[in-house]
Parts: sequence; C-alpha cells; structure tokens
Amino acid sequence: MSTKKITLLSSDNELFTVDEEAANQSLTIKHLIEDTEPENGVPLPQVHSKILAKVTEYLIKHANEPDNDAAAKEELKNWDDKFLEKVNHETLFDLILAANYLDIKGLLDLTCQTVADLMNGMSVVEVRKLFNIVNDFTPEDEAEVRKRRKRGTKTIGPSNDQANQSNH
Amino acid sequence: MQSEERPLDLHALPEGCISNVLSLTSPRDACRLSLISTIFKRAGESDAVWERFLPSDYQAIISRSTSPVPPDLSKKDLYFYLCDHPILIDGGTKSFAVDKCTGKKIYMLGARDISIIWGSSPEYWNWRALPESRFAEVAELLAVCWLEIIGKIETRMLSPKTIYKAYLVIKFGDGMYGLQRSPADVSVSVGGNASGSRRLVYMCNEDDAHITHLRMRRPELEGQFPKNREDGWMEIEMGELFNDEGEDGEVKMTLTETKSGHWKGGLIVLGIELRPN
Repeated sequence: MSTKKITLLSSDNELFTVDEEAANQSLTIKHLIEDTEPENGVPLPQVHSKILAKVTEYLIKHANEPDNDAAAKEELKNWDDKFLEKVNHETLFDLILAANYLDIKGLLDLTCQTVADLMNGMSVVEVRKLFNIVNDFTPEDEAEVRKRRKRGTKTIGPSNDQANQSNH
Repeated sequence: MQSEERPLDLHALPEGCISNVLSLTSPRDACRLSLISTIFKRAGESDAVWERFLPSDYQAIISRSTSPVPPDLSKKDLYFYLCDHPILIDGGTKSFAVDKCTGKKIYMLGARDISIIWGSSPEYWNWRALPESRFAEVAELLAVCWLEIIGKIETRMLSPKTIYKAYLVIKFGDGMYGLQRSPADVSVSVGGNASGSRRLVYMCNEDDAHITHLRMRRPELEGQFPKNREDGWMEIEMGELFNDEGEDGEVKMTLTETKSGHWKGGLIVLGIELRPN
C-alpha cells in the first residue's frame, strides 16, 4: 500500500512533497487538509522555501518516533542536535515562527530550547547584545522591575547578573 | 531571498514563543531575564511559563490539601506561594512545598507519619502540640535505650530525575540527656536496596563538652552535627538518593542508636524532610 503524499506550497511558490504521516505532525496542516485538500498544494503563505525545506526535513525525520527503543531515541536526539548546529540566529527565529504557525510542538520546543540554551548563564546586557534587543523600558518601569527583582533575588538565591550595575 | 525582508530579531517573535523559550530556562533565569525588555517581562509573568515550572501534578496535590490556598493566584504567584508556605496533605500528616530554585517537590513526613519504636508508650515518648510546629503534634523523647526512627515514602511522589536528600528535623528540649554520649547511625535506601548510604551523626551541638571528650577518645567516630534551619528547627542529614523515573518503589530513611545501651531523652521530632539537593 502506498502512503498518501501531501504537497506544501511555500510563500515563494516552491512545492515540497511529504508523506501524510509526516505532514500531520503539523496540526495546522492537518486541519487544513481535513477540510478540503487543495489541488495545487497546501498554501503556506507565511513560510519561505528556505525555511520550509528545513521544516520538511524535520517532519520526515520525526514521522516515525521510536517508542521504547533507547538506541533509536539516542540517534534521533543526536540528529536533532546536528539539525540546529549550524543554523544562524535569523534562521532559528524563522524556524520558531514557522513551528509556531504550523503548530509543530516538537520543533517548537527544540528551537526554543536552543534559544534558552544560548541565554544560559548570560547577563541581561549580554542577551540584549546577542539578539539585538532594544531595552524598551521607561526609566520608571525599569526601576520598578529592578526593585521587584531584587526582592526576588533575595529569595531565589544568588545571581550572576551584575551587568546592569555600575562599576565603582 | 530572505534578505529582502527586515532581518528578524528575537523581539519579532510573538509573546507566546518568548514564553515558550523562558519556560525552557529555569525559574531563576525566567525572573532574571524579565529585565531584558517589556515583552520579556510580560512573557515572564505569564501562566504558560510558571505552569511548566510547577510540578506536573501540583493540582492533584493541592486538591488533597487541608491548608487553605488563596484562590485566583496567577501561576507565578502560586509558585512562590508554594515555595514559602508548605501546605498540609494526607490528613495533615505530611507537608508539601516547592523548591524555589528548581520547582521540584519538597515533602515533610510529620512525626505521626513515621514509625517511632516505643512511640505509643507514654512512658517513653510524649506526643504534644508545639506552636512552632506545622503539624498538630510532635514527638518528644522522654526516655529510651532503643532509639529507632523509620520514615518511608513512595518514590513516585517525588520529582523524577532528581537527587534528594533526607533530613530528620528536630529540636533539643531543656531536659536533654544521654543523646550526646554516642553517635547514631543514619541510612537512606531505595526499593529495599540494602546498600544504601550509611553514616554516623551526632545528636547534640558541636560545642557539647561530652562530644569533645568522646572525639578525643574515639577519633574514628567521625560524624556530622545537626545544622540550624531558617524556621528555628535543626536538621540532621540522613543521606541521599537519586529518584530516576519514580519506579523504584519506596524510600526508607532510618536513624538508630541502639548499640550503646545508654538511656537518653529530650529529643523533639518534627518529622523527616525530603528536598532536592
């Protein structure tokens, strides 16, 4: 018996074909093809071909998740690590957006965990610098957050975040 | 080409994605990183984040509680409430709290929930209320030669993939005697495994004159002393265990001093606490 194929159409009109089982990991795609299956591929106007290529690679690899096979689980975990190893920040954020829009829980957690790991042990200023984030607090807001946070620090243990304190 | 569009920064992600990122850090980092920007602050306050930091079965545990938990708390406020206010469960014989740094479960088995040999003989052990006790009753040792205290808890109640340490939580009464004359054995074992950790502990303060004497005569008796807790009680470390998936069955924690034959008294037992290391 041949598996049913699903065709996906990227924002720049490139076609990607995957097995239905792989495609169904995306709840968004699953719902889209439940109603009516579009003749010219499922349109995904929010996902560029460059990102959709990565997403389909993930979907194909994860189509048959091992249940109790420890070695296969380990292999899949190593594959996940490699999958995002050489990805730059921009692609990583695009992948998060795509995983969020397509509702693929596994890919969303994998990409978000990568960002969480990048921030691990960094000061607030270092994180802002790493990801080009502008501090958009008003001085009053910041003082308030800092005050609340100080209260939190006392109860939640020592912190390595001294980047915002003046050196003297 | 992607470069035609504005390059994405982390801020371009919807708040839900930032929440997801924060929920994959730690409770401490989630608080710390809320200083990055307003969207991080909002995400860092969200229920989605703190629901994931709370133990997965926290709702079932709260529903077993006899302590009032304020309704309508945000998940973040509930998290910190459970860190600071142990709640009584299982008919008031155990307490449950959340470890602030890790979100893992902390339990204390009250004296009524552990087995104390001779505990039901009023000439040996006295049960009474103490204002500084979270449980209705504490056990006060009047006089025994055979001191044996055994606590048991099912591993599935504990957080998985976690190293726990067990502590006997105590006080010394005014009429304390005999306890300083010989150290006690403590042990923690999991699933009937006899090779659990075993060590000696002293049941008195380190500056006790008897102990200085004893250690001079018997230097091989190296043991730990009770440490002060923030809540005014003292604790004796009984040992540690690694709880993998919670499938090992039962943790058994013991303290015994039955070899010396000395009479002893004045030990007040609040319970046995298990908390992540």
